[in-house]
Formats: sequence, C-alpha cells, structure tokens
Amino acid sequence: MPIIALDKLTKRYPLPDNKSETFLAVDGVSLSIEKGEVFGILGPNGAGKTTTLEMLEGLNDIDGGSASIDGIDVQSHPYKVKEIIGVQLQANEYFDNLSLVELLVLFGALYNRDIDPLELLGKVNLTEKASAKPANLSGGQKQRFSIACALVNEPKVLFLDEPTTGLDPQAKRNLWDLVKELNKAGMTIVLTTHNMEEAEHLCQRIAIMDHGKIIASGTPQELILEYAPEPPAAPLHGNLEDVFLALTGHALRE
Amino acid sequence: MLTQLQRRLSLVFMKIFLRDRQSIFFSLFFPVIFMTVFGFVNNSEQEAIAIGVVNESSAQVAQDFISQLVSDPLFDVTLGEQDELREALIAGDQTMVLVLPADFDVSSANDSSAEIDVLVDAAQVRQLGMIMPVLEQKLLAIERSFRSIEPMFTIELEDVQARSQRYLDFLLPGMMAFTLMQLAIAGSGFNIVEYRRKGILKRLFVTPIQPRDFIAAIVVARTGIVLIQLTVLILFAVFILDVTIIGNFFAFYLVVLLGTFVFLNIGFCLGSIAKTQQAIGAVGNIVIFPQIFLSGIFYPIESMPELVQPIAYVLPLSFVSSGLRDIANEGATLLQIYPSLIGIAVWFVIGFFLATRLFVWKEVAN
Repeated sequence: MPIIALDKLTKRYPLPDNKSETFLAVDGVSLSIEKGEVFGILGPNGAGKTTTLEMLEGLNDIDGGSASIDGIDVQSHPYKVKEIIGVQLQANEYFDNLSLVELLVLFGALYNRDIDPLELLGKVNLTEKASAKPANLSGGQKQRFSIACALVNEPKVLFLDEPTTGLDPQAKRNLWDLVKELNKAGMTIVLTTHNMEEAEHLCQRIAIMDHGKIIASGTPQELILEYAPEPPAAPLHGNLEDVFLALTGHALRE
Repeated sequence: MLTQLQRRLSLVFMKIFLRDRQSIFFSLFFPVIFMTVFGFVNNSEQEAIAIGVVNESSAQVAQDFISQLVSDPLFDVTLGEQDELREALIAGDQTMVLVLPADFDVSSANDSSAEIDVLVDAAQVRQLGMIMPVLEQKLLAIERSFRSIEPMFTIELEDVQARSQRYLDFLLPGMMAFTLMQLAIAGSGFNIVEYRRKGILKRLFVTPIQPRDFIAAIVVARTGIVLIQLTVLILFAVFILDVTIIGNFFAFYLVVLLGTFVFLNIGFCLGSIAKTQQAIGAVGNIVIFPQIFLSGIFYPIESMPELVQPIAYVLPLSFVSSGLRDIANEGATLLQIYPSLIGIAVWFVIGFFLATRLFVWKEVAN
C-alpha cells in the first residue's frame, strides 16, 4: 500500500491578467508514492510542482480529487497529517534573534515534543553552529538547518521543495548525501527539482509535470529508455572549418 | 489559563522581542526625549519680551512708566533713539517700540490724556494681544498712584489644588497611552506582516500549531513588553523628571493592560489586511497619526476646534489617555473613570470582532 496517494488532485487559480477566468494549476494529478522511496517531481517553473506539494501539506485548499498520507485524508484531517510530515519550504528564513538550538526547541514545542537539538544539528552536520543565528549561515547551511527543523517530529514523510536551488556544487552534494542518509534510515522523501542530475542521483522514481499534468513517470532508467532521443547512427565529428576547407580546397589564394 | 504550549511560545516571543534591541531603544527613546525636552522648557522662566522705549518727554510720569516696565519680568526694556530702535524692530530684535512723545505729560493738563505711540512689526502682531493689556495695566497703576486713588477691584488668585500641576504631569499619562499604542500595534500588526514576508508564518502553518496558540503567545509576550517598557518610562519620569502620579498604580496599570489589548486587536486587523511592509506602514499611519494629534496626548481635547471634538472624544487612544490621566493627575478611582472604561470596552469588542473575522490562519500564513 502506498504511503502517499493522489487521486485526480485539482487546483484552480484565477488567471493573472483576467481575474474572472480560471486556469488549472494542477490538473487531475494521480500518483502513488511507496513507503521508503525518494520520489522526485520534476518540471519547468509554473508546472504545478509546488502547488501539488502545498496541497499535500495543507497550505493550499484542494479544489478537486483527493489525497491521503499514511491512510489519512489530507482535506478532512489536516492536523493529523501535519503531525506525521516534515516540511522544508522554498523560503527558509526564521525569527531573527533566536539561535539554531532555540529555534529547534521551539519547533519541537510546536509538536509538543522535548527534543535534543544538538543531536538534530549533528545529523545535519551543524553542531558547531549551535549558537549561531540563521542569518549568519551560508546557503547550504541554511538548507540543512531547514531540514533539521523538518525532522523535529520524526516525520514519516519529508517534503523538500527545490532543496538545492542556489547552492554551490559542494553544498549540493553535501545535501544529497544527507537526503540519501535519511532515506537509508527508512524515511520517505518527496522532493521537487528542476535539476536533472539531482533527480537522477537521488530519486528512485520520478514524475515529470508540465501545465499541471503529469506527462511521464517511472524510474530514471525507464524514462531515459522510453523518452531520450535515439543516438545518431554516426556520431558527429569535425567542425565548420573542415566543411569550409572540404568545399573550397586547401590551395593558398592570392 | 494558558496551555503549556502557549506558555512556552509566549516565552519564545518574549525572548524575540527583548533581543530586538533596536526597536526597544527607539520605543523608549522618543518618549524619554520628548518628556525631557518639555521638562526643561517648562522649568525655565518664560522668555522676556523685548521692547524698545523712546523717551522724548521730560515729565516725571514718563520716568515712572519706564521704571514700571523695567521692573516687570515680562519685559526686556531697551531705551534708545527712535531711529535705531525702529531698525531693531524691523530686524526683529525688538517685538515693539513705545514712543513717549515730548508732550507726554498728564500733570500740566489734567483734562487731556497723554498718548503713547506703539510701533509694531506686523509679523509679531500676534504678541500684541498679550502685551497690550499689560501695558494698560501699568498705565492704570501709574495713574492711580498719581491721583492717589485705590483700585476699585483687586483680583486674588487662589489655587484650590493643593499640588502644583506642571505640563509634564499632564503629559506623562498621554505619553504612556501613546507608547502602549505604538508597541501594541507594532507587536501584532507589523510583526505579522514581517513574519509573513519571511515565510515564517507559512512554516508555522505546516506544523500542528493552532492559530489561537500563536495569537495567545503574541498577546502575552507583547503585553509583557508593554508593561516592562512603560514601567521603565514611569520610573524615569518620576525619579529623574520629578513627575507626580497621585493615583493608584494598580488602577493605572489595569487601564494600561486594557488599552494594550485594544491596540493588539487593532494590530491583528491591520496585519491581516495589509500584505506588504509598505501597506502596513500606510494603514498603520492612517490609524496612528490622527490619534496622536486628536487624542489629547499633548494638549486637552477641550482646546481643540469644536468641529473635531466629537470625533476626538471617541477615538480609542482618547479613552485610554483620559483614563490614565484622570488616575495619574487627579487620583481618580476605577469607578470614577467608568466612561473611559466603557469606551475602552466598546473598542475592545469592535476590535476583537473584526480581528476574529479578518485573521484567517491559512490566508494570513500564505
């Protein structure tokens, strides 16, 4: 039985330039995500990835269809769902003036849990930043801290929205390692990205979205086999100069 | 009354507010500077009015008149020639110039009255209304002593209030009302917009926190901040500026508390309507500015134009500041200030009703 099930999930928004008309930001998306997998939702900007995640997280109303996480209906029991999910949003700013440890304790309190902030910081490799303020973290450290905040309730499902956007290659790989580690420990992870390398590296299964619809899904290998263009019979070689010389000859001109 | 989560959250917000040194500094800075400046202005003597006197008369009565003027602290008298004093008047160094002409004498011709020419600069003419009665008073006194008659009436001023009321005593309760309004509206309204802009509310929304927990924590923490800051200001006013508060402190703080709740409600409304920092700045000013000028913080509402008085009296800040002032200046009890308390209660109900309608957690968070 899948841990996340989407059945014809639909979201309608008013058109930006004509408020009386609407368009479908998410257009009847059906998906099932298995327990313990890393699932990637890919697509260009505006494809509906974030809206889909936000409906699962309770941030956005569901206009049509249904979704359930761990058997709990998202629309009728939003607070039960919030208890079992961890969320990292695209915006990762926090209260000024609170240290990482204080923020983690605060997030623990929101779930009515007493947590060990240092253990969590250790998990995301930020132990030495325990008393720093979020404003003083680098981009990669901020993302790792966001993930630490999302882990305070030991969630069954972790949602990551474009976790590596804007990170340098080192920070990106460091974050990939973290995601793999969490997944190895049994956590189901759903992430959005438009970085193909990331999808190929991290995700066991992928869905590609465009214009609110899922246009392809499967494992990275399946998708490549099915959709990647055939390689040309003879690989391209040479350059334009070769063409020019072949056509006009090598003789020197006056 | 508060759940464990609400208590913990309140402490966190208290920590956040207390560590925001800059806003604490500025919310203390303005009232302190304001009260200090007014404390000094009021303690110093009123500045003497500079008048020039040209004496072309040789009569004794002219000499008497001049010495009367010189002895009055209200005037700073310069004796001189007409031409130079006229220039000084034009330059603005003198407020007016009195010319006692050569025929200024009442002793020789008892029937005719002597005339004094008064030169004024039209720009300074507003002070005339204050100076002329004093001049006439002086002339009358001289006339009486000259004719050896006793004045028919004398006025004795008797202060029925046992204590002296300074402007600072009047100002302090108004300043407290103003400060609590600023702190409360900033605490709920401006902070909510800021947290939303940063995506913090969205992040809180995806946790199981209930909106009432969030609101309770803001209210408790912000009220704590208001009480602390107002106490600092009151201690400063009482011990450094020697301001007198004669009423009951418990009653005073109760009104502070109620006023804070009213403005926190208004702040929640504003924070729910305004989506950006610019918007909250604009709607915040619409609510705050008229109240600064119309709520009798700096001068009594009775002294305002009749037209605005009915509006001024029903502003929430008016009820808070008049309630605080009645307690602080007149020692009124809570029972005696019931009109203010009713006004505050009505505004609380209005604010609470609107806030619960406007503050929709999902919409505010997104």
